[in-house]
Amino acid sequence: MVLGLRNFTERSGDGVGEPVLDTANEEDLMHVQPGVAIVLGARPPESPGTLYISNKQVVWLSDVDKERGYAVDFLAISLHAVSRDPEAYPSPCIYAQIETGADEDVDSADSDAECNESLDVSQITEMRLVPSDHSQLEALFDIFCECAELNPEPDEEQEEEHNWIFSADQLLDDTTMNEEGDSQWQLAENLGNPIGYANGNHDLAHSVLELRISDQRFDDADEMEHEVQDGHP
Amino acid sequence: MLFFSYFKDLVGREVTVELKNDLAIRGTLHSVDQYLNIKLENTKVVDQDKYPHMLSVRNCFIRGSVVRYVQLPPDGVDVELLHDATRREARGG
Repeated sequence: MVLGLRNFTERSGDGVGEPVLDTANEEDLMHVQPGVAIVLGARPPESPGTLYISNKQVVWLSDVDKERGYAVDFLAISLHAVSRDPEAYPSPCIYAQIETGADEDVDSADSDAECNESLDVSQITEMRLVPSDHSQLEALFDIFCECAELNPEPDEEQEEEHNWIFSADQLLDDTTMNEEGDSQWQLAENLGNPIGYANGNHDLAHSVLELRISDQRFDDADEMEHEVQDGHP
Repeated sequence: MLFFSYFKDLVGREVTVELKNDLAIRGTLHSVDQYLNIKLENTKVVDQDKYPHMLSVRNCFIRGSVVRYVQLPPDGVDVELLHDATRREARGG
């Protein structure tokens, strides 16, 4: 998954229309909100623009500069909120925190944003979306919530946890599988040179092959032997 | 699923959600879903000196995967109930 904010320029209709979405991967447009300014980190607001919310990501496209646009996956939005406190920001807005994948740089990224316009947008950790029509805030918030819930963490992370919990069993399974996998692989490799095996007893050839594999394994390294012993006390 | 059910019982209570980026947000638990995404209402940032810009956002959606801790109201913890529930969960029931 892609963390952080990124530049987005792919527009339909000769680069002037809606953002090009990944419809092949079931990406659908959920909501369009015209008249939205975007504030990245401590940069000045950019407006006017249009906000496009799909079931996968939030895209903001500038209405004036057709080359300017930003997108962030819902997977990377840690938190979003309705901010109406004038002390926090002068206009009511949707406030979002963005996970960048480089947590240590959070503070420096913020201070960089103040002085450096050309900053790498992938380091932006905060985003404000300021609709000119304030009455749309609650609706926008609800759509954000709905879409965030459509984007749980990807499966591989759950599987990792699964492995982790059953690490002892998993380790044994993995070892067995690897050994089988290795011998199959070596067998296949040797079949590339079938002379001497072709007319012979296939079982015998197979046994010889296995013997060779075993020999190699124990010749190679003493460490391996220790590991095997440790694994089967 | 145990924690999902457990957090659902805490809806309406005051909790503090601590994020993996060290931000801690206090608020009324509005709802929680199966991914442990958390919605808070009437939130305020605990360490306001460090995060002044987040001062009192009204409602707030926090992605379950970025939550490190949820601090519960002490009287919201029914130890007996949790004991039973964890035992049931451990038995796979």
